[in-house]
Amino acid sequence: MTAHTSLRGRHVLAVLASVAAIAAAAAAFALSGGSPGRAFPALVPAAAPAGWPHLTLTNGTAVLSYPPSLRPVSGDADAVSAAQVSPKGVFRLYLNATPRQGDEQLRGWAAFRLRLLTADDAASARELAAAQGVAFRGGTGSCVIDTYVTRIGAHRYQEIACLVQGRASASVIVAAAPAATWAQASPLLLRAVAAYQVR
Amino acid sequence: MSLTFIRSAAGAALLAVLAAGCGTAATAQHAAAKPAAAQPRHSAPVHAPVTTPTPPPATTAPAPATKAPASSANPIPQGNGGDQDPDNNGGPSDGDGNI
Repeated sequence: MTAHTSLRGRHVLAVLASVAAIAAAAAAFALSGGSPGRAFPALVPAAAPAGWPHLTLTNGTAVLSYPPSLRPVSGDADAVSAAQVSPKGVFRLYLNATPRQGDEQLRGWAAFRLRLLTADDAASARELAAAQGVAFRGGTGSCVIDTYVTRIGAHRYQEIACLVQGRASASVIVAAAPAATWAQASPLLLRAVAAYQVR
Repeated sequence: MSLTFIRSAAGAALLAVLAAGCGTAATAQHAAAKPAAAQPRHSAPVHAPVTTPTPPPATTAPAPATKAPASSANPIPQGNGGDQDPDNNGGPSDGDGNI
């Protein structure tokens, strides 16, 4: 009887150990995000570092700060852009801010952005991550990180595009780089996005 | 003894299934809380704030077959057309509403 009880006790311990191991593995998977590299990065709104130039939208509703290694480039009349372009004209870093122009909404922004890309200048576009309720300086936004291939040149870019709602207006900030160099470029680009200020 | 072992094994399997279920739920909950900066102010999102779509095939995935937005009815011409933005010449896309 005693031997039977001892054997049963070992079985119970074995079962409990198995459950603990499985639970630990499940917890580790959950804490890792389950899909490494796919989680949306944390965006903490913060003023741009000292020395970063600024571009203000012509309607005065937002301020784009950009690293000194970028230069203002031309674009739409109501938008502002800054970029780092190679001597051969290849875009290495790109920042753009544009007032809300169309049917952009915070809800469904990621899908809207992908539709717009493929309807305009991209042959294909694919969402990588998205977030809503992202805090910005002076507002709240919805963001998407995606990659797309341009119709002209078949250039593959990766971008973070956010629709940001301020108190009285909304605008879009885009930060992009060649997909091949996104890992190196994204910290600086995300810093610029985090410094974006809306009114 | 054999019967006892079988009972124990069955119990372990059942508990393993339950534990796996809890792990999945924890993953979803974690994903929803992932963006530290996500602070909805106007209205809390109904859906999880963070989406992580399943990885696509190895080859370049074509654009999803979705209905084009109303604003894309007249896309800006490519090849230095329209507003002559970089994105009409193979550069990165800007944030315009395609209008």
